[in-house]
Amino acid sequence: MTDVTNATISTRGKRRARRNSSDRTWTFYVLAAFFAFYVIALYGPMLSIYILSFQDLRGGLVFPMRGFSLYWFNELIMQTRAGDVSGSFTRSIYLAIAVTVITVVFSFMAGMAFRRRFRGDTIVFYLMIGSLVAPGLVLGIGIGLGFDMAGIPTNWFTSALGAQLSWTLPFGILVMFAVMSRLNSDWEEAARDLGASRAQTIGLVVLPVLAPGLIAVALFGFTLSYDEFARTLQTAGAQNTLPLEIWSMTLNVTSPALYALGTVSTVISFLIIGVSLGSIILLQRRNAARKNISE
Amino acid sequence: MKLNKTAVGWLNVTPLLAIMVPFFIMPIIVVAIASIMQTDGFGGMFMDPTLENYTYVFQSALTYRLYFETIKFAALTLIFSAFIGFWVAYFLVFHVRSKLLAMGLFLICTVPFWTSNIIRMISWIPLLGKEGLINQALMAMGFIDAPLEFLLYSDFAVVVAYVHQLTIFMIVPIFNSMARIDKRVVEAALDAGASKFDIMRYIILPMSKSGIALGAIFVVSIVMGDFFVVKVMSGGGTASVVGAFYEDIGVLQYPSAAASAIVLTILVMLMVALILRVVDIRKEITQ
Amino acid sequence: MGTGNGDIELAGVTKSYDGETFAVDGINLKIPDGAYCCLLGPSGCGKSTILRMIAGHEDPTHGEILIGGEDVVGLDPVERRTAMMFQSYALFPHLSVRDNIAFALRVRGLSKAERNAKADAMIEKVHLTEFANRLPSQLSGGQQQRVALARAAITEPRVLLLDEPLSALDEHLRIKMRAELSRMQRDLGITFIHVTHTQMEAIALADMVVVMDQGKIRQSGPAREVYAEPKNRYVAEFIGGQNVISGKVSYINGTRATMAGATYSNIEIPLANGKRLEDGQSLDIAIRRDDIDLVRAGGDLPDGSTSVEGAITGVEYQGTFVKVMMEAAGEEEFVAYVPERRFFEESLSIGDRVLAIWQIDHAHLLA
Repeated sequence: MTDVTNATISTRGKRRARRNSSDRTWTFYVLAAFFAFYVIALYGPMLSIYILSFQDLRGGLVFPMRGFSLYWFNELIMQTRAGDVSGSFTRSIYLAIAVTVITVVFSFMAGMAFRRRFRGDTIVFYLMIGSLVAPGLVLGIGIGLGFDMAGIPTNWFTSALGAQLSWTLPFGILVMFAVMSRLNSDWEEAARDLGASRAQTIGLVVLPVLAPGLIAVALFGFTLSYDEFARTLQTAGAQNTLPLEIWSMTLNVTSPALYALGTVSTVISFLIIGVSLGSIILLQRRNAARKNISE
Repeated sequence: MKLNKTAVGWLNVTPLLAIMVPFFIMPIIVVAIASIMQTDGFGGMFMDPTLENYTYVFQSALTYRLYFETIKFAALTLIFSAFIGFWVAYFLVFHVRSKLLAMGLFLICTVPFWTSNIIRMISWIPLLGKEGLINQALMAMGFIDAPLEFLLYSDFAVVVAYVHQLTIFMIVPIFNSMARIDKRVVEAALDAGASKFDIMRYIILPMSKSGIALGAIFVVSIVMGDFFVVKVMSGGGTASVVGAFYEDIGVLQYPSAAASAIVLTILVMLMVALILRVVDIRKEITQ
Repeated sequence: MGTGNGDIELAGVTKSYDGETFAVDGINLKIPDGAYCCLLGPSGCGKSTILRMIAGHEDPTHGEILIGGEDVVGLDPVERRTAMMFQSYALFPHLSVRDNIAFALRVRGLSKAERNAKADAMIEKVHLTEFANRLPSQLSGGQQQRVALARAAITEPRVLLLDEPLSALDEHLRIKMRAELSRMQRDLGITFIHVTHTQMEAIALADMVVVMDQGKIRQSGPAREVYAEPKNRYVAEFIGGQNVISGKVSYINGTRATMAGATYSNIEIPLANGKRLEDGQSLDIAIRRDDIDLVRAGGDLPDGSTSVEGAITGVEYQGTFVKVMMEAAGEEEFVAYVPERRFFEESLSIGDRVLAIWQIDHAHLLA
């Protein structure tokens, strides 16, 4: 009896081994090469402008490097040119923070609503999809004209804020759907069963469970706003946000200062990613630490 | 004390609607109204309902050329990004054995998404330009004598920039739908004697369809609504639908720009609706 | 036994989600204080809905739910003093075992020291002291179940509601935790209502078994009564351990009658006290599988017994007995549980024609 079982296991093991080794046929190597090529094409150009932003004063927009300097970064700050780089930076950051906060709160609420079917939910859902796919500049023009008709001046913290939310909110809600699919409604019922009020259920159970997902939504909100162009173009009013500043530079600046701006902007992006990922890891490590105490 | 489900639902989406109504519905209505108004030629508009702006849009040969160009870019971008996205996701899900490694490689693909699109587009300039890295390299290796002109400020450059920006929108949903495929289904098919091609055709492709559709919604709506990439990367040689009415606005031709905007919006919505027939997006995302 | 007010009464309770079909259809049920009651039925029979209505997670469309004589419809779970243990256990994934168990005390505003002291006492009761700081994901299924039980019990409920509490466990653990549930119920002395689709689980645990089907109660009573004296074909077949034979009354003679069907003609049945039968009346009878003896066709019948002939279609060795499946009396699966020694004396095998014999008085007439 045991002999028979062993025999079956060993032939099965052999077959498994053969199948596994046959996985690594030419398809694996072709796809691995394809993947590597994709990653190089993804990062290569970006790396090249980060390097070129340290171009020497004598250097131009292309390789070779004529020496390393911080000249073009300095020029950004010195504002020797027309334009307001540091002002647009500050505005973009403030705007992105406002968009992030509103996106997280509103899409959390909407996400909670969409967990259950309710009368009219389909209308709201497709309204949201419509807002997501509508051409950004069309909405921008409409908002700009609308403010104009109503006699309200457009401004980056009013009309542009709303214009950006019409894009970040649907996006945030779609991400929130994915986040909330991991929220088991039994947890909320258990909390209610144990005497928690609605607020306690959200504060003590729902939010802590969803925390990593909410950080992800925040990251989306921040990035989408920080990078938003089409909807902001006609709604930002007199003062530029960073992408608008970059846009005007691409049209009339032909020096590596443009690359320097790209480098600075990317550094900010990476700082934000770092902080977000860091806080997610911190949350998880706190849980892991508990395990260590108990062992 | 207990509210009914519908009331709670609407209460929770109220903040969302408070944004959607003034910043999505109203602007569309405003543009629609503007599209039937007339211009006094000095940037002012007056109300005297007319469909002239639409007849102008539809009678202009330029319109058809613009739509042809824009749809061409959307289609090319869709094809390339779906192709790359599909094989990248397939590699990560089915060929990388360690889950941790697959997740790590997946993150590597997503990081650039968090950086500025505009910067990523500009970053192709020092590579593709006449004196760019690619031309320098090809000449140094003796493949060509004169720099290739078509690399930058061309349709080629536009498609490269779009694909570079948007492939991520394909990878993420396709990766998600492939990750949901039970590996045992593939093994069962192998046991039943299916070839690699059969497995691709009958299992993986049908089961990744929804991911591809979801990605296509993003790619199509973004390319159709864009004018920035075309303007910069084509070097001004090619126009786009949005680019054209942005220029109309520059010269204060609001009504004709508005008519063109409405036509484009309807077209994009129709395209998305067509894709939505393939995939129940709501079911897809909440899974 | 009991705290004196954990008795439950359901009066005309109905639940409909769409206004047309009824998940629960006019249920009347009384569960005495301190009882261990099992709601038994296939999935979708409405048993979980009843549990959730008693817990206060759903409201009945019509009818009253009384706990300790007081109508609780519309009250919060806490006000009802019920506690529920979820099928998934619903342990909060971000909280340690101690924090999970202390959750109810925390939302009541007890100080940290106070609630931890109480939680630790409860943790000790369920033998989880060394795991107090672990997260639920770091526990085994059995340990998770004990945490869920402790978390529900710490609210000092008068009724504990358990939704398929053993279904997530493997067979071995299920039998172990079954005993633990029983012990816990005796210790706490409160009413337990336990929803399950497993007959053996219900029979092993319950003082009172309620068999349900399509939103209705088919039979309720002590476990032995439901097992040995099913009221109808549904209960007999669902609880199992019975052979059900359909036929028509062909002859009535004082205390006995004869029943005939398409493939047999002379099964004798008892006419128990006051049962009135008429000639030609359709009838179902049930005979316990372990009341049946098998002899080769052509053998003699002992006094006071009756039989039906059939062919053996399958044999399963079960250790203490042998399960013999046969085609007989128009039933595709007529089963006899033959004691092991007895079976091997006869040395029967598949294809043999045999007589299934039972004492006439052991047959049980179904409604």
